[in-house]
Amino acid sequence: MRMNKWRADVQAFLFLLPFLLVYVLFTFWPMIKGVQMTFYKWTLIKKMQYVGWDNYRRMLQDQEMWDALWHSTIFVLLTTPTMLVLAIVLAMIANRKSRLQKFYRSIFFLPSVLSVAVASFLGLFVFQPYTGLVNSVLHLLGVLSDQREIFWLTETNLAWIAISLITLWWTVGFNFILYLSAMQDIPDEIYEAARLDGANDRQVFWRITLPYLSPITKTITMLQIIASFKVFLQIYIITGGGPLDQTRPIIQLIYQTGFRKNDLGYAATMSYMLFAILLVLSIIQYVINNRKGANA
Amino acid sequence: MKWFYRIVSVVMAAIFLLPVIWMLVVSIKEEGMKIVTVVDWFTPPYSLAVYDQILNGTKLTDWLLNSVLVAVFVTLLTVVVAAMAGFVLSKVPFRYRAVAFFFILSGLLIPGEAIIIPLYQVAKDMNLLNSYEGLIIPVLASPVAVIVLKSFFDGVPNDLLESVQIDGGGTWRIFTSIMIPLIRPALASMAILTFIGSWNNFLWPFLSITDDNLFTLPMGIPTLMSQYSEDYVKPMVVNTIASLPIMLLFIIFERQIVKGVSLSGIKG
Repeated sequence: MRMNKWRADVQAFLFLLPFLLVYVLFTFWPMIKGVQMTFYKWTLIKKMQYVGWDNYRRMLQDQEMWDALWHSTIFVLLTTPTMLVLAIVLAMIANRKSRLQKFYRSIFFLPSVLSVAVASFLGLFVFQPYTGLVNSVLHLLGVLSDQREIFWLTETNLAWIAISLITLWWTVGFNFILYLSAMQDIPDEIYEAARLDGANDRQVFWRITLPYLSPITKTITMLQIIASFKVFLQIYIITGGGPLDQTRPIIQLIYQTGFRKNDLGYAATMSYMLFAILLVLSIIQYVINNRKGANA
Repeated sequence: MKWFYRIVSVVMAAIFLLPVIWMLVVSIKEEGMKIVTVVDWFTPPYSLAVYDQILNGTKLTDWLLNSVLVAVFVTLLTVVVAAMAGFVLSKVPFRYRAVAFFFILSGLLIPGEAIIIPLYQVAKDMNLLNSYEGLIIPVLASPVAVIVLKSFFDGVPNDLLESVQIDGGGTWRIFTSIMIPLIRPALASMAILTFIGSWNNFLWPFLSITDDNLFTLPMGIPTLMSQYSEDYVKPMVVNTIASLPIMLLFIIFERQIVKGVSLSGIKG
């Protein structure tokens, strides 16, 4: 747009003002304020006293913090690859021409619109022993004998499986849609040409579909890793971080430290550990995305 | 082979649908029924008595209303504020445009979860805790929305704007009567994603609200659930009431939602 310099500056400023005001006050300012908090003993009531690098030293030696970080990492490792595979499988189902095509698309996305609290509580009941949906169905199908029960939520390994399954069910919809729209962008001629050359289903999938999906796969992988690192409420509702804090993720620990133990300074310090990790992951994602842009 | 695909498809659909159906059916069962096999969940006697209890005896509907109110305001304001910023970043040649763009772009690297503790302190200093303003204002600045919308404004040819300018249209008029209608589909998709995001937002309300009159659903639901034990009917009624509006919205706006999701992935 043409306009004189002075007018352009004033108008741009006015248009940007509402966004920048909120952005500076509630994103940038807290980010800076938080750094200050890490150097203090700071309670919910007020700033107490300057403690120098104590919070950082304490954090590096804090086994609970490393455990919580590891639990968040476990969650990332469990959900990311399974999420990718499930999303591709669902997208292939919904991409096949059939009368139920639209129905499949709706069904696979439906859980994604549920509130995290609803999805988590639903999951909690689905995985109850004796009367929960999963055990009941397993009994009905005869997979699980009538005398046996699986106690999903009180055994650490099973709890992780339950948490992961619920999360996959609840969130796969977004990635499924991304894959589905990427698949629909693959030109039909390529498939036809491959068929003419006598390629079978498996070859078509590995040689055509999957390579075509690789840019979106990179994006989804990184977004998924970042999102999974921030897991909190599902775990909080489903296991409460238990048994014995064995599934407690880092955000739960930050919350408990700040608001239950009344130690905002140390909670802020741990937040910056999380920040650092997410920053590194985001930069990796940015680099990968831009390299993709350069090739295209 | 065809049958294999079909069976896998149906099984997957069943797995995805069954928990939701279970939720709906259990919610209309009579309380205190003995459950021996999974079939018992789906058979009569049915009753809507618990719906009555929950709708009239708890604050669930207040929380539902809070969730809707907060989500509506957050959505409207986020999209308007982001569209204004995206528009000038795209079309107005002002000084420091590149600086402003990178300043906003860098926001993509700041995860809300990691600054939530100092945000609490900042909101407390500004007396925003336990208020609707506190639920709405701090979440309005979405760098993703600005950047996605900017890329859509970029797609509008400059010639078009210049012809309007020659006719004497000011910047505000160009924005409201030319640009906004042109990118309406993108705005709609962004709005729906923002709405779902706000609907699901948990951590911030959880920390900033202690007055249960101001709870949103993600906080209210766990509070209610902690009072119920043993029977599944009450929890499932709560879940159903909390989900029906958003599921209805999904059925109505499915196309826009799907489009919004694919947009966010490409740009994000």
